This record gives sequence, C-alpha cells and structure tokens, in this order.
Amino acid sequence: MNFQFEQAASEFRDHVRQRIAEILPQDIKDRNCRILGMSCNGEDQRRWLAAMDAEGWSVPAWPVQYGGTGWTAMQRFIFEDEMYAADAPEFNWIGSHMVGPVLYTFGSEAQRERFLPPIRDGRELWAQGFSEPGAGSDLASLRTHARLEGDTYVVNGSKIWTSGGHEADWLFCLVKTDTTGKAQQSVSCLLIDLRSPGITIRPIRQINNEAHVCEVFLDNVVVPVENLVGQEGAGWTYAKFLLEHERTTSSFIFWIKRELARTRELGRTFLRNGRPAIENSYWAGRVAFIAAQVEAHEWSVLRVLSEEANDYPLSACASVLKLVGSDLQQQITNIQVDLLGDHALRDYGEDQHPPSTDPIWPDIVQGRTSRALMACATTIYGGSQQIQKNLIAKFALGL
Amino acid sequence: MNFHLTEMQQMIVDSARRFVAAETGIDQWRDRRQSENGVDQKLWQAMTELGWLGLAVPDDAGGLGGSMEDVALLMMELGKGLVTEPLVSTGILAAHILDKTLEGETRSTWLGRVATGEARIALAYEDPTAVGLALLTAQALPDGYVLNGPKIMVHDAPSADYVIILAQLDGAPALFIADARAVGISANCYPLIDGSRAADLRFSNVALPMDALLATGQKAQDILEESLDRARLAIVSQAVGAMDATVGITTDYSKERQQFGQPISKFQAIQHLATDMFTAAYQARSALYAGLCAVQAPPEQRRRATSVAKLIAGLSSQTVSRNGIQIHGGYGITDEYAVSHYYRRLLVLEKQYGGNDEHVGLLAQAEMQS
Repeated sequence: MNFQFEQAASEFRDHVRQRIAEILPQDIKDRNCRILGMSCNGEDQRRWLAAMDAEGWSVPAWPVQYGGTGWTAMQRFIFEDEMYAADAPEFNWIGSHMVGPVLYTFGSEAQRERFLPPIRDGRELWAQGFSEPGAGSDLASLRTHARLEGDTYVVNGSKIWTSGGHEADWLFCLVKTDTTGKAQQSVSCLLIDLRSPGITIRPIRQINNEAHVCEVFLDNVVVPVENLVGQEGAGWTYAKFLLEHERTTSSFIFWIKRELARTRELGRTFLRNGRPAIENSYWAGRVAFIAAQVEAHEWSVLRVLSEEANDYPLSACASVLKLVGSDLQQQITNIQVDLLGDHALRDYGEDQHPPSTDPIWPDIVQGRTSRALMACATTIYGGSQQIQKNLIAKFALGL
Repeated sequence: MNFHLTEMQQMIVDSARRFVAAETGIDQWRDRRQSENGVDQKLWQAMTELGWLGLAVPDDAGGLGGSMEDVALLMMELGKGLVTEPLVSTGILAAHILDKTLEGETRSTWLGRVATGEARIALAYEDPTAVGLALLTAQALPDGYVLNGPKIMVHDAPSADYVIILAQLDGAPALFIADARAVGISANCYPLIDGSRAADLRFSNVALPMDALLATGQKAQDILEESLDRARLAIVSQAVGAMDATVGITTDYSKERQQFGQPISKFQAIQHLATDMFTAAYQARSALYAGLCAVQAPPEQRRRATSVAKLIAGLSSQTVSRNGIQIHGGYGITDEYAVSHYYRRLLVLEKQYGGNDEHVGLLAQAEMQS
C-alpha cells in the first residue's frame, strides 16, 4: 500500500486549477456561486461545456477515441475537485455519465456519430426518463411502454422527477417493450427527442420555490427505431452497467468539499452576538465534527476509485458512498442554515437577486436555505437511504 | 397533574378544529404567498370574533383572562393547520408587555384594542450584528423622545399597526410603543419561507410623545423576557400541533403508497422512521407541558423551563419534518404535498425567538455556572 500522492499529481492540480481560472467566464462563476438550487441554468451549462470542449476537457472519462482525456482516475478526481472548488457549472451529468457511456459501449456507430459530439460540446443537453409516479424505489414496475409499429416505436406513459426536463433537448428513457416477460427482460432504452409531438413537460414546484424537476407526459410519441439503444429488452442490463460503470458520482464528494469551504466562510464572516460565529465553540465543534467526516468520506471515494481489493463487492462500497455522501450534504447545508439563525428564514423567491448592498443581508445568505431545503432530496434520489442500506446488508453482509 | 379539559378549553379546541378544517389547507397556504402583507383579513376577522385575540388578555381589560394552558390548547390546534396569522405577536407577546407596563385606562384601552383585533402590534427587539451599524437609541427631549437606528427581523411588522420597540435610552434598555407608520420609520419587508412576513425597520429621527415610553431598565428587561417566554411557549405549542399533523399525514401516505407490490407502511424501515417521528413529537409535548407548568414560577426557573421546551421542540421538529419528507419520497420535496409545508413552518418556529443553538447555549451557561 502506498498512500502518498505523487509530485505529478500536485503539478497536475496546479495546471488544471490555473487553466479553469483562465477559461471560466466570470459571469458564469458569479451566478453559480450564488445558485439557489442544485443545478445551474441550462444556458450557462451549455456555454461552459463548449468552453471545456474547446480545451478537450468536457468528457474526461470517455475513451480517448470519443473525446476523453486519457487521464488516470486520480487525475479525473483532481480535475473534478478543482471544477467544484472554482464554482464552475456541473456538467450535464445525464449526457456525460449515462448516455455517453451507454452509447459508446452498447450503441450503434450511427448513434455514436449522431449523439456523442453534441454531448461533448454542450449543444445538446440530456434528461433522464426513469422514475414514474408508480415506480420510484421500485423502478422495475415502470409502465411507460413502447409499441413497435413498422420502423417506429409509439411511446405512451409518463415519467417524473426528470431534472432539467424543461431545458433539455433529449430524453434517455426506460420503456417497456414487452409486457409478457419478467420486468428485467422487458425493458428497453430509447433516445427520445423532447421536441417530438405528443410530449408535454410540466415543471414541478419544489419545496425551495424552484421548478427544476419535471413530469414528462408521452402521448403516442413516435420514436424512430434507430433510437433504440442496443437490444430490445436489454434496458435493465444497461441500467445496471451504469451502476457499475460510475460508482463515485453519488458520493457528491466535490460538492461536499465546496460546501464545507462555504460553511467555513460563513462561520468566519457571519456575526452572531457581534462576533464571527466560528469563534463560538458550539459552531466550531459542529464544523469540526462535519469536517472530520468529510475527510473520511474523501478517502472512501479514493478507495472505491482505486478499486481497492477487499472482501466486499465494489457495488456495496458504492452504496456506502451514496449513504454517507447524501447524509453529509444534509449535515452541511443544515449547519449553514443554523449558523444564519433567523436570517435563514427569509424567502428569497426563485430568482437570484442582484449582489446585495445591505450589510444586514450579505450575499452569502441568499441560497443557503433554498439549497438546504432541496437537500432533503439527497437521501431520496439515486436509491434512497433505505434502499442503499438494503443493498449493503445483502451484498456486503449477506443478510 | 390534571389533563382533563375544562368546558372553556373544550370549546376553544372544538372551535379551533372547526376553523382549521374550514379555513386552512394546502390551497390556503399557497395563496397566502400572494397576499400583500401576509394576513388574510377575513381570517383575522373570524379569529377576533372567536375571541382568540383576547384569550390571553386579562378579563379586567376586556379579554377572556385565559391561562397559558388555554393558549397552548388553541395554538396546538392552529399549528396543525399551519396558521401564520399574527396571533402570537399581537395576542400573546404585545398583550403581555402592555398588560405589565401600563396601568389604568391606558392599559384597558390598549388591551381592549388588542382583544378586538383592531390593533395588530409587532415587537422590534432584534439588533443587526453587521459590523458598523449603530444600535437603536432613544434620546430624551423635553416633550418626548427621538429614536434613531435599526431593528431587524421584526416578525409580522408588514401587517402591524403598531410596533413595540426595544431601544437604548441613556445606556439602559427601554420599551416604547409607536405607530408603525410614524414619520421616519422605513421598512424593508420580506416574506419568510412559511408565507409569514417580517421586516427590517430603520428609525430616522422618529419623534415619540412622552407616553410612548412603556418601561425602562431592569423592569423593561424583565417584562420583555417574560413576554418572550410566553410567546415561545405559544409557538412551541404550534410546533407540537404541526408535528402531530405531520405524523398523521405521513403515516396516512405510507399506507396509501405502494411499491414492490405492497404499501410501504409494511416495511420495517419505514415503520421505524415513523415511530421515531411519533416519539419525537411525544417528547416535544412533554417538554411543552413542563414549560407551561413553570409559567408562574420564579424567573430563573421559568426561563430554564421555556428554553428546555423550545430546544426539545426544535430538535423534535427536525426528526419529525425530515423523516416526514423521507417517507414521502420524491413527493416530499414538492410544493403540492403538505409535508413540505410542515417542514418549512417547523423550521420557522424553531428559529423564531431563538433557535436550538441559542437555547442550548443558555442552558449550557447555566451548567457551566452550577
């Protein structure tokens, strides 16, 4: 075992940090610093992806032949760390981490040529059509179905919790193509143009005033048969592939580190009883407790990233990352709310306010409560706490 | 210990339940975001007709002379309906300050106007902690006082007719009452996450007559603290009601929602989340009762019991509201389902009049000095 980071790693970190600072437009950074929800707006995301693509850095994890950087897992880790630290917009995760890998692994050459370049350069944003009103944790019970008619599929049903559905161009959709067999053999993956006739997108108002997640209604939507990914009935295999392919994203470790830094900034600058809050040992203690957990969590991510050989399947370790990470996201956003005291109660609405000139309400206040409210979802999406615990019990402990 | 309701208490509870059933609910909670100042005048009128504004006003001044237990019973029911009309700020907090600082006809007149709902009164007592902002000071003049400075986070100020102000007068605390629209008062109004309203006030050479002064020095301090403690118990009562309602709607949801071929209420993990909610709500009510018991006790004891009630209710609110959303799954974070509204209201109630950190800090100080 060797736990020392090489000199090359810190040189790489300096290099990407500097380059990101040079490329990241100030207006995008300013907006993203003060974001009210969990996702930046689609326009900023596209501009940033285009800029990253010009650098060759927009899909680092992809094979080089499709535009990847050829970096090691450690280098990709460092790069993402620096992206979050710089308040750069997140990549369109559905495109870069789901659709891309599924297409370059299972898709046709035509699909790769058609869909991979616009993911890389941000021309097309993707949304995910998995969950349904009746299929949350029990995704296998999904009912949106696609009927083959000649050279098209006709799709009927509805999807829910589709983040960014109203800003996306394409939907990565799980549908039933066979109603006779077992759930796991009757689901297919379709690529659906969100501009297709028959699609209605309804943004859903959230606890934090945002309306970012959407319901997507599909009413006799016609999808060319060329938009089926791989084999009919193999959709479940592709979904499982994604879980194995991408184990550490659900750790949200970079988001967490950035928010921990923001928490410390808040503790230093926000006054309680006339003094910076962090000078009160109550706050210092709570922050210290969280910081220690974050450091342990980072090492858990590195272990999974390095595919540390141990007695437990990596999938169980990935569940640990999701379980711990989602809880830390809530701990950190909640301590920010608590630090603010009753200042946390103000409702800023759904739009970003211009930079504050009121010393009673410094800029750092806006967004803290809104993000904490939306962070209630971290323990629900992507496999709830309860599901993750079941998975660990089963796959790590054989219970 | 006697947990039976008196006849009047039963009437209060029944009328509050009818009110909540008829007048509150998710549409009303969402509509109030659009209201101009956070108060539905129709509801306010109904509340005054039901005598609720005068519940805590002594009967020698036109009120019902109710006890804090009576208030708690009312507030628990209203908490279930997420009522945010400014009953506490006017009918509990301001009413008690005026009751204890005024005498004779002045006292009767003011309290009478509170009881009839004619006058809404907010309390401006919080100072900004931003560097460089001077505190609110009052200067004595031959014929009155002049006030200069800020007061922030004044709950219910946007709908208030009057404001009771904590100011520094010759280096000591003093309580004043002023017309909310007096010349020189400017307000930055904003909504809170539960649809209620607050404002930061700025006083610029606000001239007040002699009789605007309610109390000074230690007397002002003691009365303010005693009144705030009553307000704290009133909002803890609302929180207890809101927690009970959250437990109810969450268990109902879990019985309806099916996944994996059965209601999710069948899963032990869900059951345990729900029982944690039940237990937390139970403890919060216990702490409230302990606080109510100490209302008439010597100040130190009353202070402590109130902080315990506020802290336990605050911690329980977190368990109840968070588990409530968790059990609801994705629907828990929508505006469409009630549980997220309970979450936001419980967060406001936890932080109002001192959040968990402040109250545990006060209790910690007592530990360190013991």
